[in-house]
Amino acid sequence: MLESLSLRVRLFLFFALIAAAVPVLLGGGLWLAAQRLEGNPTPHLLLFGGAAGFALIGVVIWVWQMFDLNVAKPIQSIVRDLQTIMHANPEHEIAKEQGRYLGLLNPVVREVADAFATARRDVGQEIERATRSVEEQRLQLEAILRELNEGVIVCNSNHRILLYNRRALQILGVKEEMGLGRPLFSILNQQPFILTMDRLASRYLEGRHVGHSEHLMTNLVFAKTDGSLILEGRMNLIVDDADKSISGYVLTFDDVTAELKELIKSDRLMRATLEELRHPVASLRAAVEMLADIPDNDQEGRRAFQNVLSEEAMRLSNELEKFGSEYRAIVTSQWPMSDVHSGNLLNALTRRFRDDESIFCDVTGEPIWLRCDSTTVVALLDHIIRKALTELDANTFLLSACTSQNHTYIEITWTGGVASPAMLERWLADPIERGMGLTGTEILEHHKSEAWCEPVEDGKARVRIPLLLPQAAHTASLSTAPLPIRLEFYDFNLLKSADLGAVADRKLRDLTYVVFDSETTGLEPSNGDEIIQIAGVRILNGRILTGEAFDQLVDPGRRVPPLATRITGISQEMVNGQPKITDVLPRFHDYVGDAVLVAHNAAFDMKFLQLKQDQCNLRFDNPVLDTVLLSAIVHDHTNQHTLDAVAERFSIEIPPETRHTALGDSLATAGVLLKLIDLLEVHNIRTLGEAIEASNKIVEIRRRQAKY
Amino acid sequence: MTKSVLVVDDEPNILLSLEYLMKRAGYVVRLARDGDEALASVLETPPDLVLLDINIPKRNGYEVCQSIRSNPALKNVRILMVTAKGREVEIEKGMALGADGYATKPFSTKELAERVAQLLNGTGA
Repeated sequence: MLESLSLRVRLFLFFALIAAAVPVLLGGGLWLAAQRLEGNPTPHLLLFGGAAGFALIGVVIWVWQMFDLNVAKPIQSIVRDLQTIMHANPEHEIAKEQGRYLGLLNPVVREVADAFATARRDVGQEIERATRSVEEQRLQLEAILRELNEGVIVCNSNHRILLYNRRALQILGVKEEMGLGRPLFSILNQQPFILTMDRLASRYLEGRHVGHSEHLMTNLVFAKTDGSLILEGRMNLIVDDADKSISGYVLTFDDVTAELKELIKSDRLMRATLEELRHPVASLRAAVEMLADIPDNDQEGRRAFQNVLSEEAMRLSNELEKFGSEYRAIVTSQWPMSDVHSGNLLNALTRRFRDDESIFCDVTGEPIWLRCDSTTVVALLDHIIRKALTELDANTFLLSACTSQNHTYIEITWTGGVASPAMLERWLADPIERGMGLTGTEILEHHKSEAWCEPVEDGKARVRIPLLLPQAAHTASLSTAPLPIRLEFYDFNLLKSADLGAVADRKLRDLTYVVFDSETTGLEPSNGDEIIQIAGVRILNGRILTGEAFDQLVDPGRRVPPLATRITGISQEMVNGQPKITDVLPRFHDYVGDAVLVAHNAAFDMKFLQLKQDQCNLRFDNPVLDTVLLSAIVHDHTNQHTLDAVAERFSIEIPPETRHTALGDSLATAGVLLKLIDLLEVHNIRTLGEAIEASNKIVEIRRRQAKY
Repeated sequence: MTKSVLVVDDEPNILLSLEYLMKRAGYVVRLARDGDEALASVLETPPDLVLLDINIPKRNGYEVCQSIRSNPALKNVRILMVTAKGREVEIEKGMALGADGYATKPFSTKELAERVAQLLNGTGA
């Protein structure tokens, strides 16, 4: 029982015992003495004994105090310091004066504490370094997976999905069916996988993989469960060498359905043409040989054969022409291309030159839709501009696009000399920076294109590059009138409405978010404008889960105005036959769950959601963060908080073809959010509650500013 | 005055037929087998028309075409491009670099002769 009391209390009790013993022992001793003494000694004994007793008690109290002050208290505070060092702050310092009378205890304890702090520091640094490198590797891996043009799925040995990339979703054409932990065989036919895995497993277990040319990998062909796709891929076993077991496999694959079709088509064409060419060539050869034998005077015979010659030559020409046009149609579909808005493409290009003072580069003319691989085309245009700068001293460039009946064109016009065909050919012969290792000529070949430079008025020169017409009908007229910017408007109650409860104290870093964006027919939800596309991405543990995005076109049940089509690229045809908002919103609600909702100018998107939620019998009462407001908190020096401006400040590149698509903007906003969370910490905003409070302050400031 | 035609091609067999075809049509015919030779010949005595194949050695047809067009002294020389590629973008490139017309191999000799005549009479485009 004594052990549970503190040191100081125990010492006190100890001295209290001595103090209590003084009157008892002294009193007892004097009483015995009084019995044996003659006369009347009692008053003396009482007087002197009592005085001695009191003096003794005084001494005991004084010694106790000395002990308490110089032994018990310092020991206790050293113990407290040590506890702080152990559990809270290894750098905590123990005062030198602490326990002066405790001999070597203080210096020894300080030495131990120092050693402990150093060890902690080293371990901390080591962990941080390792974490950083793991994080870097993870980011690299993610980037690689994202960029890969092949589908990748990683499964465990029970064929459950552990990881997949976006391309896998695209190729398989699945969305909700694919998810972490889901069985692979709900999407793909299981037979080939079981057979192939058995084969690889026995290769591994029997040790035959050592020295095997394919090690633990093999090719396989498989199909979707509904039989709609034939896929070709490679399975690579993941093994645990320590206990000789199989932990899973990596599957990389590509859709070969289309390629197979093309291959079969071109093979068939080749065979048919070869056969059909044999007929006219046979006739020609026979007729020529006969003609040599016919005597000169047989005019009629000669004419007959001459007729054959001209007829068959014509047939041969026609066959060749037919073959040429059919063959061109087949080859066109080999390189991955998408419909791109020229404004986005060319603006992405001008941004590359903005920091370069030696080049002025601007976009002019009406934007159009065209079809190309935007990455390599931007790299190609960039290359041409830099070449014109160094070799022709041109420094003012205008970029434009136009369209004809059969082609679209990208044009670069500069003030200065014309690049001759030979010069242009030389420029295009080099591998192009950021052009995926391709030369300019190869990029043009992939686009079935040619480039040339021609003189135009006022001593200017212009490079023209023909590209394909867009595949989808982007029907709306495209004009250069400036697009209206989404108005920022705030519903003051919006951010406050949710009762946060315990979530308010959660760290921003630890929360799950759904960052979303909606495209609409216009800016006035209360005036009949409707959602035409909604998309979202989830952020979990500071990672954007691009693979599990929500992305859905919505039939607004009204006409899509041309202006909306111009901004979003979504036309009436694209929303026809899509689900209605009452079907989409419940799915989105499920997708969101209890995550924190985030949007750029969230009030706008939330307004639309809240107007629709009653129809669907739902409530979006999740906490909401607005990246416009968060940006205003951390970047209070500027009032530029459009998504483009904010993304640019954080060097988040938005691919031109995805800007103003709901998913593209969601991804960009998600990137922005992660950067903002870092910066908010600098402003001492760490929890959701703090972030919302700071947002509300910004809203209040803006409301006041708006009054003046 | 008799019109003159320069035929540029590196295929001797087609050169033979084209030479015969042009002579029969009554033109003075000269021949060239590569880009350098063609340009030298044009500079020496400008012909009224050049039948110009695109795939020729040394300088390709595009370059010869652009060189002729960039020389103001040769502005009256008509250029008829002959190409075996026949893709639309290649034809367009030729026209953009200053050709007055084009023909795709294989062609009908009769039609080719007509095109040449049109260009020389200033009625073709």
